[in-house]
Amino acid sequence: MSDTARYVYAVSRGLEGAVLEGLTGLRGAPVELVSHAGLEAVTSDVPLPEFSEDGLREHLEELPWLEEVARTHDEVVRAVTAHAPTAPMRLATIFHDDEAVRRRVQEWREGLVEVLDRIDGRAEWSVKVLAPPAPAPETTPGGGPTTGTEFLRRRKAQASDRAEQQEAASRVADAVHHELATIAEAARLLPPQDPQLTGHVGQMVLNAAYLVPDTARDLFAERVDALRGRHHDVTLEAGGPWPPYSFAVLEES
Amino acid sequence: MTQASVEVSAQTSGPVAQQIALVDLLDRLLGTGVVLSGDIVITLAGVDLVQVSLRALITSVRAEMVDHRP
Repeated sequence: MSDTARYVYAVSRGLEGAVLEGLTGLRGAPVELVSHAGLEAVTSDVPLPEFSEDGLREHLEELPWLEEVARTHDEVVRAVTAHAPTAPMRLATIFHDDEAVRRRVQEWREGLVEVLDRIDGRAEWSVKVLAPPAPAPETTPGGGPTTGTEFLRRRKAQASDRAEQQEAASRVADAVHHELATIAEAARLLPPQDPQLTGHVGQMVLNAAYLVPDTARDLFAERVDALRGRHHDVTLEAGGPWPPYSFAVLEES
Repeated sequence: MTQASVEVSAQTSGPVAQQIALVDLLDRLLGTGVVLSGDIVITLAGVDLVQVSLRALITSVRAEMVDHRP
């Protein structure tokens, strides 16, 4: 049994092997193409047992290992995306050998071609909307409440302010999404991220990905700036271009 | 397609930016329905490994990232 397996980063169309020169993947292995049926799987050798089923099960739960694999995966995908339409694979897509890679490309061919048609000449852009954090409890100008009734009235008013603020932020998120989705060819809503993970302050009310034609890139950026200018009450973050990760999903056949 | 990465926003800078980018990356590389979805994730033994471990993985990633947050 071989002591390596084939890790597949992406499948491209019309990618020339020459552009991979000097490009290394996981564990410094050279990135190579496995061509089949007019498509190119972008692969490199990965060592076993590290990337075997048991190895993955163990390592995927170690954050530094996961981070290194995810970043290398992303670097390789970005490098080839610059040269040809590219459908990124999910993390840790691994085959026994080149023959197994070809079999799978053959099996997926129709779906892959659809994905490549969909994303050719387009990139993914990320947009997030963050609602402001809940205000600190008000300190009453001119002294604290004098009665229990007054105290309860103020507490209720504060809670209702917060609810209104949340609703307002959600309305802004809807408006932002609606406007950007008209420029984008496709949009996808990702789950809001946990503030504990990102360190952001306030509530994420929109975490969206947009598939934007390269020709509409400036228009999209202008619209993001305009929306940011119009909605001072929220924080609007935008980033890209990403490889079209959120739009490379094969339809279930 | 030129791919010089452009941050439209000036919101992400400093050490936190790196961390945010990893979260964004994992959103896309591991999240539900992300990249090639369904039963087409391949593993050596024909078991859908990545999907099987995903729940445990995300939980542990969250826990660790919270610990490591600057």
